[in-house]
Amino acid sequence: MKNIKLKINNKTRELAVRDSELLIEMLRDRLGLLGTKYSCLEGDCGVCTVLLDGKNVLSCLILAADADGHEVTTIEGIAQKGVLHPLQESFVKNGAIQCGFCTPGMILAAKALLDKDPSPTDGEIASGLDGNLCRCTGYIKIIDAVRQASQRLKDGK
Amino acid sequence: MGLLKDFKYHTPVTLKEALGLLKKLNCPLVLGGGTFSLNRLKKSTKYPTDVIGLKKVSALRGIKDLKGSVSIGAMTTMAEICASGIIRKNFPSLVEACSQSATTPIRNMATIGGNVASRFFWVDLPAVLISLGAKISIAGPMDKRGLEKAASVHEFLGSKPPKKFIITKIIIPKSDCLSFYFRHTKAMPVDVPSLALAFFASLNKGRLTAVVLAVNTTVSFPVILKEAAAAMEGLRPKEVSLKSVLLALNIDAQNLRLDEYRLHCLATDLESLLGTFGTGA
Repeated sequence: MKNIKLKINNKTRELAVRDSELLIEMLRDRLGLLGTKYSCLEGDCGVCTVLLDGKNVLSCLILAADADGHEVTTIEGIAQKGVLHPLQESFVKNGAIQCGFCTPGMILAAKALLDKDPSPTDGEIASGLDGNLCRCTGYIKIIDAVRQASQRLKDGK
Repeated sequence: MGLLKDFKYHTPVTLKEALGLLKKLNCPLVLGGGTFSLNRLKKSTKYPTDVIGLKKVSALRGIKDLKGSVSIGAMTTMAEICASGIIRKNFPSLVEACSQSATTPIRNMATIGGNVASRFFWVDLPAVLISLGAKISIAGPMDKRGLEKAASVHEFLGSKPPKKFIITKIIIPKSDCLSFYFRHTKAMPVDVPSLALAFFASLNKGRLTAVVLAVNTTVSFPVILKEAAAAMEGLRPKEVSLKSVLLALNIDAQNLRLDEYRLHCLATDLESLLGTFGTGA
């Protein structure tokens, strides 16, 4: 076992994890953060996306022990005091969600993109989300949602 | 038991410590960014009892602008390479290759050292590193003095790797040069390349010299198009004729047994390349 100390959704946690435990296993099975999904487990689909020090990474390809000393944000950590993040609201408003399975990963990838580049073009949004697959929406509504959220964030609403 | 079978995970913080573990342990797996190795472990029947993670070894990270070269730590991620002003200024073809590899989250995790150490045929970086004349620095636990050895990326890929080693850095010589990278994929842009061409040439009094054309064919380690490169040698970029380069490419195709599809892709790439020079296309 390895003792690790990290920040998860702004809360400092000290945990003992198995040496071979993946970050996704720690988040879901140990901490009950079920917004991070299991799917391909090969780094192809993006549903296990989390932010590690603000960058979107795949929690199925990171050992929990490697998150020691870092800051992890999951979908549960982006709403503030019960108020949805503008990206979450925009996804709901624009119908960018159908089955919803890809949504946490999409929103976190979009957050990483907007934190780095507040005014992306549609092409930049598409390449920012290029590791996240959606089999329902056809991506158009998702790009609309990210574009609108970017506008809202810039307007400070 | 979880998704991975049990192993002992070692997290050294210095290179010396990592090399000590490499020497002491029996057949450990060395883990860089993890995007190849952890995936492979999930399906592997041959399983290590020990894994050495390099993420905490700060000496293996970062990009340094040295006098005549640029040193890239082996644990530097592809995203960090894309964002580096030093790399953007000196090696645009490397930025191009890194920015087209895989997907955004993979680029945030995958490292340049892991890309080369994987020895996979289809990855993007070896062809471009060969074209840039990059050297790879390797440290092994068997070297009593702990000295690192440098070899060209071409030599490294063309020979049997040492039994136990850690790639420490990639060193790329700086020069007044032109470098480009072209990549073909079958379905989506995020696919692995079905073929990719890396071009490098120094400019001496406005003439192309030391031209290298390295091709990633995805079925073998990168090959070098000697004849097509020779057809450009000594000319001013605008003087290079597409016809003569394509004729030379046919000789390369015969020598290297490139199939018709790859030959067609290469011809398109060369046409685009000459287009960037303002000629040929």
